[in-house]
Amino acid sequence: MKIGNVDVKVSIVAIAVFVVFTILLIVASVYSPEVRSQLIWLIPALFMLLVIPMALNYMSRSQYAEIEPIYEAQAKTVRVKMINENMIGKIVRIEGVVERVYFQFLNRPQYLVADRSGEISVKMFTSTDEDVKVNDVVEVLGQVIRRYFVTGDPVINCVSIRKIKKA
Amino acid sequence: MPEENPDRNSHRLMEIGVPLLSFGGASLAVIFWITGATIDFRLSILGCVLGSWLLAYLAWIQPKKDIVALTTPIYSFIFLAVPTDNFSAVILELLYAGSLTILLVRLKYRFSKPGTAAHDAKELAEPLRTYIEQTRDIWSGTSPEAAHHATVAFVRFAEGEFGETARRSGTAAGQPEDAGNAPCLTRAFMIVSEHATLLDQSLPRPATYRTFLPEDSGMLAKPLPPAQDDDAGFYTTLDNALLLLFSAAWSASEADRPHLLACQAFAQRLLSS
Repeated sequence: MKIGNVDVKVSIVAIAVFVVFTILLIVASVYSPEVRSQLIWLIPALFMLLVIPMALNYMSRSQYAEIEPIYEAQAKTVRVKMINENMIGKIVRIEGVVERVYFQFLNRPQYLVADRSGEISVKMFTSTDEDVKVNDVVEVLGQVIRRYFVTGDPVINCVSIRKIKKA
Repeated sequence: MPEENPDRNSHRLMEIGVPLLSFGGASLAVIFWITGATIDFRLSILGCVLGSWLLAYLAWIQPKKDIVALTTPIYSFIFLAVPTDNFSAVILELLYAGSLTILLVRLKYRFSKPGTAAHDAKELAEPLRTYIEQTRDIWSGTSPEAAHHATVAFVRFAEGEFGETARRSGTAAGQPEDAGNAPCLTRAFMIVSEHATLLDQSLPRPATYRTFLPEDSGMLAKPLPPAQDDDAGFYTTLDNALLLLFSAAWSASEADRPHLLACQAFAQRLLSS
């Protein structure tokens, strides 16, 4: 769903939660008159299960869209091997092949991107513009952070991931 | 004979301690259960709690953190706090001790790859140490100023400050030849300066680029790939130049060693990839 320039995506988990609670509410309201009398606030509450994740996705994606040009201007193109813990906080651009994709269903995708020099985890805290799959050749723009923010190996906090050619 | 590292010995003891404590506690629980002792069963659970803390500590000191091993003390406390009957406690403790042992094996083989623990080391680790020792003699005439330039260039490169690296390396490469510096060090500065400039401006690999001379090959850490693989040759030349700077800085500027140790993981990565 498009709001302004932002393509809002709701995760499959949020949809599943909405569907489960809708079924529960329908069943409960059929069998319980007490539940039926509360439908006036239960139905809006049910829709909030969809509206809140959509609003959060809209906010994060619009913020990412705002900072992308800033990152684009500041980023240095590096090979994966060069990214090390002394580069924490640096804005980088890498090109590589997607070897693995995790947590896409949560709208918090994580990729393992490799070039000829090595591989690195690329974390994204919102959904992507494009549907990135294994074996896609991508350009990643982001900031080097530690895996668990204060500790762990360097990973990329991704602001944008774009397919640059079909594998 | 190589010296035994005391840290490594204590880590090995701690690694043995994890199954020893957890299975020790579980064995106590079995004894209590068989003999029908009226002692509080939670005493035996302490073995699993201590084993968890030891495992979490071992996970904490690895540069690549294992979140599962790190959180085991939380589970052990839940385990300790929830009252269970004696038979369930025995089964739970045995399963928990087994799980801790599996996590320890996982930690050892997946999260403690050689060379990755270099960032907080107080000395050079292998294979970097061997390379530095092999090239030590070349730097006997190197001026402290050139060695310091080498440190700054290497550290700034590791930090991704490519503009600063290019400036420093350019300055160092322009020093007069009678300063006593090895000619291969000047070439290394020139190569690093060229690469850093390209990186700073996000430019692609040029068709022609600076390389070492054939007589430098004995000092280079990595052999050059076949001539037809231009990309690999270009990047291997950079790795060799950076490692030469590291070696010169380490050997000729003792005061800079703490800065170099902070970037040791990067140097190890250059050498081993």
